[in-house]
Amino acid sequence: MSAIVDLVLGVVTSIGGFVEVGSISTSAQAGSEFGFQLLWAIAVAGAMLALLTEMSGRLAVMSKRSLAAAVRERFGIHFQSVPLAAEAILDVLLLTAELGGAAIAVKLLTGIGFQWWIVPTALLVWVILWLSGFAVIENGIGLLGLVTLSFVLAAWRLDPDTGDVARGLLPSLPTHDAVRYAFLAISIVGATVSPYLVNFYSSGTLEEEVKQEELWVNTATTYGGNMFGTVVAMGVLVSSAMVLQPLHIQVDSYEQAALMFVPAFGRWAIALFALSLGIGCIGAALEIAINMGYLLAQVFGWSWSANRSRADNARFSCAFTFVLMAAAAIAMIGFDPLRLTMISVALTVVVMPLMVLPFLVLMNDTRFVKERTNTAVGNALLALLTVLGALFALVVIPLEIAGG
Amino acid sequence: MHLVRDLLDQALVDRNGRNMGRVDRVVMEIGEHAPPRVVAIEVGAAALGARLSASVGRWIAGFLHGWNVDHGQPLRIDVHQILDATDHVKVELAFGETPAANVERRLRRFISAIPGANR
Repeated sequence: MSAIVDLVLGVVTSIGGFVEVGSISTSAQAGSEFGFQLLWAIAVAGAMLALLTEMSGRLAVMSKRSLAAAVRERFGIHFQSVPLAAEAILDVLLLTAELGGAAIAVKLLTGIGFQWWIVPTALLVWVILWLSGFAVIENGIGLLGLVTLSFVLAAWRLDPDTGDVARGLLPSLPTHDAVRYAFLAISIVGATVSPYLVNFYSSGTLEEEVKQEELWVNTATTYGGNMFGTVVAMGVLVSSAMVLQPLHIQVDSYEQAALMFVPAFGRWAIALFALSLGIGCIGAALEIAINMGYLLAQVFGWSWSANRSRADNARFSCAFTFVLMAAAAIAMIGFDPLRLTMISVALTVVVMPLMVLPFLVLMNDTRFVKERTNTAVGNALLALLTVLGALFALVVIPLEIAGG
Repeated sequence: MHLVRDLLDQALVDRNGRNMGRVDRVVMEIGEHAPPRVVAIEVGAAALGARLSASVGRWIAGFLHGWNVDHGQPLRIDVHQILDATDHVKVELAFGETPAANVERRLRRFISAIPGANR
């Protein structure tokens, strides 16, 4: 019975935690510029994320090690120093973008400039992290994040043509601006398959002390949660395509993206969009900040756990505090949050092969996963992901310059 | 025992199971007419940095020395103090009694003053 409750809670919180600045901005831009044509990219990205999170959860259950710890032990510090540095830079950028997104959400509600809300937002995130255990951080914000289902509700109320939506799920060639189309497709993958999500998930599996006999819950949660989560991201794209594309509005700010809610929700549109954006961003900011604490503690062998007192894990607690302060300071400089999001998303794609490659070795090493090694299908999908990741990493920056 | 696979970079815990860090360096002695033998393991940022490059190691040691942390030197643990090295490396020490805990101890003193830190 407890496993069923865990499963339902896991899936529901995954839905609530799926959407944040990256997925909202890339999906909104894709919808406003290419209609339903890039729906397939969201489906592919969701499947990639599900594959990696399932493996990171299985690795944690079988080896009692997080992904970062397993990489240090299996590959050593020489290899790990590169993905560690890349993920640290990326996480700070992403955290900055999430704080910016949450601050813009408050601006939409109050009309007061977003820079004024950066420090209060960062402080709120820090207070939650300082005072809460893992269950509150993961489940509390995930349940609040169910407000993002308003994207699905908006899409449903706009009554899109089912045939057109179904056609969007199949990859097709763009009718215009192929470079921009390719860039947005890859950006959707980058926005979805973030390294922090994978390590956060494996750390969470250890925090929750998931047992080997509960592995099926891990599989069902990752695939079920991500599948339903992709539906929310698709809701963003469909709403944007139905509302913004006919008006020739290209999303170059979150304020413009908010307009997609107007036909569906009328005078509640801006408030609902702001709530969805704000809660989505705060949820992601919590995960990114604490993941930096996890990452550093696991690589260097410090004590870590969100379920123990902060003083008991002083280096872990200081790590996530310092990262939050750094991100807030960068956000205060005044970067455009949407532009920063798109840069972070492109950089995520660049480091993707470094994240995927270790899985191929770890998930076939019986010292880590014992008898639960990958199947041939799992390995084939991972190999495909590695090749695709390498290809995406090579082309994303030129595409961003040419079509971004 | 395979030194790189089973010792280097493995989690290091004290006799009470508390995390001390990781095995950042293995110290070996090379005798003139004897095979090389492992004499100690080291834990600390300076040892880890030195593995990446000598200059990184020196820079970290200097930085730590400047902050008066263990004179910038890693903690060296005699190989005879290793109790077990199967799943992780367990040593016959108490983390809190070693210089490796200095940073943790200083930070704890600092953050304990923040409300909610001891919950």
